[in-house]
Formats: sequence, C-alpha cells, structure tokens
Amino acid sequence: MSESGASSRVMRWLDERYGTSQLADFLRSKEVPIGVHAIYWYYLGGATLFFFVLQILSGMLLLMYYQPGEATSYESIRYITTKVPFGWLIRSIHCWSAHFMIVSLVVHMFSTLMLKAYRPPRELTWVTGYLLFALSLGFGFSGYLLPWNELAFFATAVGTDSVKSVPLVGDWLLNVLRGGPEVTINTLYRFFALHVSILPILTVGLIASHLVFVQRQGMAAPVGEKKAPRGMKFFPNFAMRDLLLWLICLMAIIVLSLLFPYGAGIPGVEWELGTKADPLAPAYPGIKPEWYFLWVYQLLKEFPPHLFGFEGPEVCLLVIAVLLATWALIPWLDRKARRNEPSPGFSDFGVGAIFFLLFLTLKAWDIGGGDGELPDDAAVARTCAWIMVGLAAAVTALRAFLFEHRFFVYSGAALLQAVLNGLFGLSYLLAGGIAGGLAAAVTIAILVGERRGAPSPGETP
Amino acid sequence: MKPLLLALLFLSAATIAVAAPDPGAEEAFAPSDALRELLEAEGDEGGPMIGPEERAYFDALPSRAKELFETAIEDELMTEGEHLQVILALGLRAPALELLMQDSCIVCHTDPWQDSEVLFSPDPAASDSPAHLDLREFTNDVHFRRGLSCAGCHDGDPLDTVMTDPVYESMPPAPERHEDRRWVPEFCARCHADPAIMRRFDPDMATDQYAKFRESQHGRVLLVEGDSKAAECVSCHGVHGIRTSRSPRSLVHPKNVPDTCGGCHADAEYMAGYVGRDGEPLPTHQLEEYRSSVHGRALLEGGDTGAPACNDCHGNHAALPPDVTSVAQVCRNCHAGNGELFDGSNHKDAFDRNGWPECGKCHENHAVAETDDSMLSDAADSLCVDCHERFAEDNEECAETPRYFHATITSLAHETDELEEQITHLAERGLDVDALASTVDQGRDVLRRARSRIHAFDRGEFVPLETEGREVIQAGWSLVDEAEAEYRFRRNGLLASLAIMALLAVGLWLKIREVDARE
Repeated sequence: MSESGASSRVMRWLDERYGTSQLADFLRSKEVPIGVHAIYWYYLGGATLFFFVLQILSGMLLLMYYQPGEATSYESIRYITTKVPFGWLIRSIHCWSAHFMIVSLVVHMFSTLMLKAYRPPRELTWVTGYLLFALSLGFGFSGYLLPWNELAFFATAVGTDSVKSVPLVGDWLLNVLRGGPEVTINTLYRFFALHVSILPILTVGLIASHLVFVQRQGMAAPVGEKKAPRGMKFFPNFAMRDLLLWLICLMAIIVLSLLFPYGAGIPGVEWELGTKADPLAPAYPGIKPEWYFLWVYQLLKEFPPHLFGFEGPEVCLLVIAVLLATWALIPWLDRKARRNEPSPGFSDFGVGAIFFLLFLTLKAWDIGGGDGELPDDAAVARTCAWIMVGLAAAVTALRAFLFEHRFFVYSGAALLQAVLNGLFGLSYLLAGGIAGGLAAAVTIAILVGERRGAPSPGETP
Repeated sequence: MKPLLLALLFLSAATIAVAAPDPGAEEAFAPSDALRELLEAEGDEGGPMIGPEERAYFDALPSRAKELFETAIEDELMTEGEHLQVILALGLRAPALELLMQDSCIVCHTDPWQDSEVLFSPDPAASDSPAHLDLREFTNDVHFRRGLSCAGCHDGDPLDTVMTDPVYESMPPAPERHEDRRWVPEFCARCHADPAIMRRFDPDMATDQYAKFRESQHGRVLLVEGDSKAAECVSCHGVHGIRTSRSPRSLVHPKNVPDTCGGCHADAEYMAGYVGRDGEPLPTHQLEEYRSSVHGRALLEGGDTGAPACNDCHGNHAALPPDVTSVAQVCRNCHAGNGELFDGSNHKDAFDRNGWPECGKCHENHAVAETDDSMLSDAADSLCVDCHERFAEDNEECAETPRYFHATITSLAHETDELEEQITHLAERGLDVDALASTVDQGRDVLRRARSRIHAFDRGEFVPLETEGREVIQAGWSLVDEAEAEYRFRRNGLLASLAIMALLAVGLWLKIREVDARE
C-alpha cells in the first residue's frame, strides 16, 4: 500500500464526512494581491499571529510553574528563572515576544491605514483588529503585575490610579480593577484571571472572526483597482514566505533572549525581577509603564491639575477617548476610500498620529534631560523636538519622492506642535491647540472647496 | 410592578435607617450669655476675637468640656475673650482640654492680663514671660498628661481659685531657689524615689534615680560641694515641658542627649575651673569629637538609637567619668566579643602594666573613628607600627604579626570584592547568582570575624579564619566557573539551534524559489 494511496484515502474519508475538498479548493485558489509598491505589508498579520501563538505556548509553559499568591508569585517567577531548566529562556521569550507582538500589531494597523484596507466591505475586519489591539494592551497591562515585584506593583498602582478620573464611575471602576481601593494581592488574582483566561478566550474568538473575515473577503487590493494587477498564490507561495518570516522572527527572539534576558534595559522595555513588591514601602521612584503606554503617561503629565473648570486628568482621558474613538471609526470617516478613491488626508493622518505618539513617547523617556535626579523638562522637549524635526524631514522626503505624497497637513501639525513645544517653549497643550486649530482650519477649507467642486490640495491625480 | 414597589420600600427603609438619629448623641449645649459674650467678643481691629477655626473647634467639643468654660467664667477665672481665645487656639484634644480646664491654677495663669512673670503663654518671647512658662510645652508635659495638676508639685488644691499658703511654702522662695539648687533633687524625689507613688503613674519606671544621683559626680558637686552649676534634674529634663525619653522632642531622647550634655560640657566658659581626677582642666571638645565619631554619626546622622550617646558610657543619673580601669568595661557592654579576645591576649598585661586604657588606646574615646584595615598597615603612622617601634622594637614577631594580619585581611577583602563584581556581571547575562551571592555573604562574614579576631593579637588564632576565608573564596570562584560553563552551554546551544533554523530557512527559501519558478 503506497503512502500516497493511504493519504488520498484519508483525504477522501474526511471529504465524505466534512467536505474538506472545498477547503482544499479554496486554499488552491486563494491569492494575495501584489500591491503597487510592495507585498511586504501583507505579512504583518501573519507575523502578529505567530507572536500570539508563541505567547500562548510560552505562557502555557510558564503556567506550569507560576503560582499566583502573596508568598508565591514572586518566588515562583524567581524559581522559573533560576532553577527550572530553560525557565529563563521561556520567560525571556514570553517577554520579548510580547513586545514584538505589539510592534507587529502597530505596524500592521498602520499599514492597513496606509493601504486603506479598511474600506468597504472590510470595516469589521478593521474593528476586530482594533479590538485585538486593545486586548493585546490588556495582556501587557495584566501580565506586567504577575511577577509581583516592586516595579510592577507601583507601575500598576500608578496605571490603575488614572481610571479614577473617569467621570461618575471612576471610583467604582478603580475598585473593580483593583479588587479593592488599593493594589493588593486581590488585584493580582484578578489580573491573573484576566491574563490567562478571560483575555485569551476573547482574543482567540476575535482572531477567529478576524481571520474568517479576511478569508471570506480576501486581502484588500490596492485602492483604485477592483482586482490586484497580479496576485500571488496563498498556498504554497505566500504561506511558505510566511513560514520563512516566522522562522526568522523566532531566531531573532531567541538571540535577544540569550543576549538580553531581562530586556533592552530602557524604561518600558525591561523585565528584571528586582525586589519583591512591598505594599508598605515608599513609592518606587521614576515609575514608568511599558513603552506602548508611555504616550498616555506623558499626555497625563502634560495636563495641568485643572483645565477649563474640570480636573486635568478628566480632560486628558476625554481627549484620549476621542482620539481612540476616531481611530475606530476611520473606515466610516474616510469617505474617499469608501468610494475606492485615494484619500491622502487619511494617509497623512496616520503619519501625523505616528509623529504625535512618538513625540510623547520620546518625552516620556526623558531624552536629553541630563543626569540630574529630576530631568530638565525644557531640555527634554527641545531634544525630542529636534529628533522629530530630523525624523519628519526624512519621512516627508521619502513620502514626497518615493510615494509621491502631496498632503502633509496633519503630519505638519503634529510636527508644528513638537516644534512650538520644544523649540519655542510653548506649553504642550497650547502648542497642540495652535497646531490642531491650524489643521482643523485647513481641513474645513478643503471640505468647503470639495463641496464647491474645486480639487482638494495635494490630491493625487 | 410588585418587585419594583418592594424594592422602593426597601430602599426607603434603608434610607430612613441610615438617616435615623444616633440614640447616643448628646443633647445640644446652649452657652450662657456670659460665655456667648466671650465667644463673640471683638478683637482690637473690630473683627471677632475667636476666629472661625477656633469657633468650629469649640462647637465640636463635648458638652462636659464646654461646661468647664462655664465654670471658669462663674469662678471669674476667665473674664475676657482674649483669655478664651488663648485656650481654644491650643487646639487640644478634648481629654487634654478637660484636664487643663479642671485645674484652676493653670486657668488663672493663662489669663493674658496676668503679670508676665507668672504668665503661661503659648509664645513666651512675645508676651515677655519666662521661657519655662511655655503653655504649649506645659500641655505636652508628661506629668500634665498623666493627670498630675500644678498642685502635684506646687501643693495647694486645683479647685482653689486663689493662691494659698501651701503653694508659697512648697519650695524655697525666689530668688534663693534659683541661686541654690540643692533642693531640686530631693523635691523631685518626693515622688520619683517612692515606688508606691510611681506605681500609680508608671510602674515600669525605676525609683533609684535620686540614690544614684547622690553618688554621681554631679550629685557630689551639687550636694556636697554646694555648687549649683552642677546638673540637677531640671538641667537635663526641663521644667514644665518634661517628656518621656521615648519622645523625640525630649531633652533626654537618645538623639538629644549629646546636645543636652554638651549644653554645659561643651561650654568652655561654663566649665572653666573644673578639673578632672588628674588635676587637668576638664576638656570641652568632647561633643565636637563625638559628632564626628562613628557612634555620633550613627546616632545623629543615621538615626540609629542603638548607637551609644553620652549616657550609655558615662551613666545618666549616676554619671561618673570612666577611669582607665573601667573604660574598657564600658566598651564591652556592646563589643563583648572583642573585649573577651583582648582579655586573653598578650597585650592585656602590657596595657595593664603601662596603665593604658584598653580600647581607647587604639580607638580613641569620644572620637572613635570607623575602623579601617590601614590601621594595621606598615605605614609609619599606623597604629601597630607606632607602638611596636616604641615598645617592642627588638621583637621581630611583634613587627611581623600585624604585617601578616594586614596582608591577609586586605587580600581576603579584595578577593571578596572581585567575587561580588562577578554577581552583577553574571546576573546581567541572566544566570542564577543566588548561591554566589550567599557565598559572598559568607566571605563578608569571615572578614568581619577576622577583623574582630585581630583583638586576640595571635597569629595562631587567626590562621583558621584565613583558611576558612580562602575556602569560601575558592568555592565562590567554582560557582563563577559553573555559571560561565552554563553560559557557554547556552551560547553553544543557541548557535546550534540557530544553525538548524538557518538551514531550515535556507531550505525554505530554495523551495520558495523552486515553487515560484515552477509557475
């Protein structure tokens, strides 16, 4: 009995019961569009999925030894990293892979924005992706506390404290999040439940819907073309490329895990165990959250205690909520993309968002703040503004010459805010108000011009 | 609909239950016209004498405390709004306020119209009162807090509204009582030397202070020589603001003792004319030396109340200058191990023969410096060399032993430091350093013991510690080697797995090319 004969019999057996030949036909005919510029962006979803799988696998191994509890959380992580064979490697892979997953998710999301892959009929793919990003942040936040070390304890205390500013239900929300008014071992118990049970179930469900949407609708072709100029077969051509990328990612993570087992050694990208959490100890100085929360941390710092008769943090949370809601609704806001027309405004909005987040993140790292105990805020803003100027010049030149972009209103506004704040000494909020006001004025002028039938500035012909 | 009605009913019942008046609440206090007049009195600038905070404080007082103001007004001890303001501004908790208001003496002596010489004021400097009549200090006095009213020391009756003879007769008249202080110890001892009385207030407190004081140098100078410059109870404990020694604001709290003693002993003018047993004038630089000493810095800068202050070596009520024979015993109170080693050493006899203070000879007394391995070195001004050159020049063994101690200890210290550096180095690479850290701790412990063992001044006793130290360091380096081997294993494992994965990747890439070419 030949092997192929046996496998074809198995396939037939399965097909008779489950109709698997349809799936095989689907895989055979599935194609990935090759865009105008490159196909690389299409690999990011797969890479994110790979990191998630790596998280699940390494997480399962950690779960075999991790014991949540006042007297066991820290000790079990210590045991994992010092005594369990290859425990150090598994923990390090789990941490590195978590950061890589967020990076890959962010790039995937921005590439989707740039390629306008969210336009109809793929709005829900964008929304599920958006929710998956939120869940990933939840994974990061809940997992951070689990080692029950000093840094995690105080970072969680500071992080959860900000929900207090949510109007009306702030205190209740804080109580629910912490399992009491303070961060205690009860907080760890619920974060543990979130991290290993609630979030994974939600994430797997959402990934399934995200993938079903992608498979049912296929990958989005470049704007302006109903069908991609040419396509690449998903199986085996694209799938093998995916596999190759995953292999390279795994190699990179293993190398980093060996060379930097406790992270990159910069605030927000480090996971050295340090000392055990002591709720009675004075607050840990210079507490900073993970790098992907740094922009929120910095934005909260930029707001004064009171603004327009409201609490500063309340206004800040409102601004963040508006920004996040806008981001979720992009598929409906981008009317040009809905008509399958190029929408340079939203591409620039994406770049502007990157500039906005980057400037805040750089400031949160106190780059250029000197070696003093307290960083010099003005010097930090100045240094970060110069970095933004250099970066914006390079990105804009690349966009203008390589991608022939002509619309720079929002990215210009984000840069203007950085320049006014860092180089002209204006407060962050005033600089933001001026830059945002200018961007809003230009947007209104463009919308009015469009209504009157005039071509919008910078629109790609 | 029914459940909704039930829920509403329940909610209303709960609200009523929460809002129901507390049955334990006391009846409202209605101030008399006289008290209201004081409460609403106007100040010099037309505004109310009793400010909003003081009024809120008064309103929050329990009725029985408020009644005491009524009594003071009825007894004509309180007649002005300004007087009421002084009492309310103290912000005392209700029990303390009640104690104060039940004592007619203090109520009368807080009246701002009182003669400034006998006026208890919250700001004596501003009201020209003597410093010891500080009202705020008085309300913190341990005697006041334990319910001992003015009459406790000054006799009379706290309910009396006028001065009576027993009050005037309770202590010698001024100014004699200020000039001749011999009466003070006996005055305090009326209670403090009586166990029956002290048991009522502080059963833990000793009652032998007076007996000790009489035998002390201070006691002899005061009571025998009649010199009232000598310290008595008030000199160290204060008068109306006496706190227990546990209070950080007490003059005899360990951290305040050096300054309290230094108040006299560091004052060259005050100490002029006093001589020690050797007939030499008493020095006044002890406080300065103590501040820079290892003990002084630990207590005054580090806040370590376990570090000795003046009284820990000299005694307090029985303060005596320690002489050559007793000074080493004082050090042994804490440094017992080193003292025992010294007693069995060959130095003991030599020190005794020459009449040298044992510990103080090398470590000083008030200026005890932090010890350093260089004390044992070959340098011309080092401790051992300095003495050995003068007193044991011909004994080669005496010269060689400290050289051996110094070389061994510095080498063990250096190697332990090097081992400690490895902890950071290995931990950065994610290796388990728990065992190594523990070994370094062992090394530090051996060093501590070796430094202490010096006090036996015997090479033979020192050698086992050297051996132990070397073994610990050897064990540490073995752990370092193991960790390095583990790291090499990890690195090689990584290289091998990377090579396999790279091969897989290349194979995959070739396959991709082949599949692409096929199409």
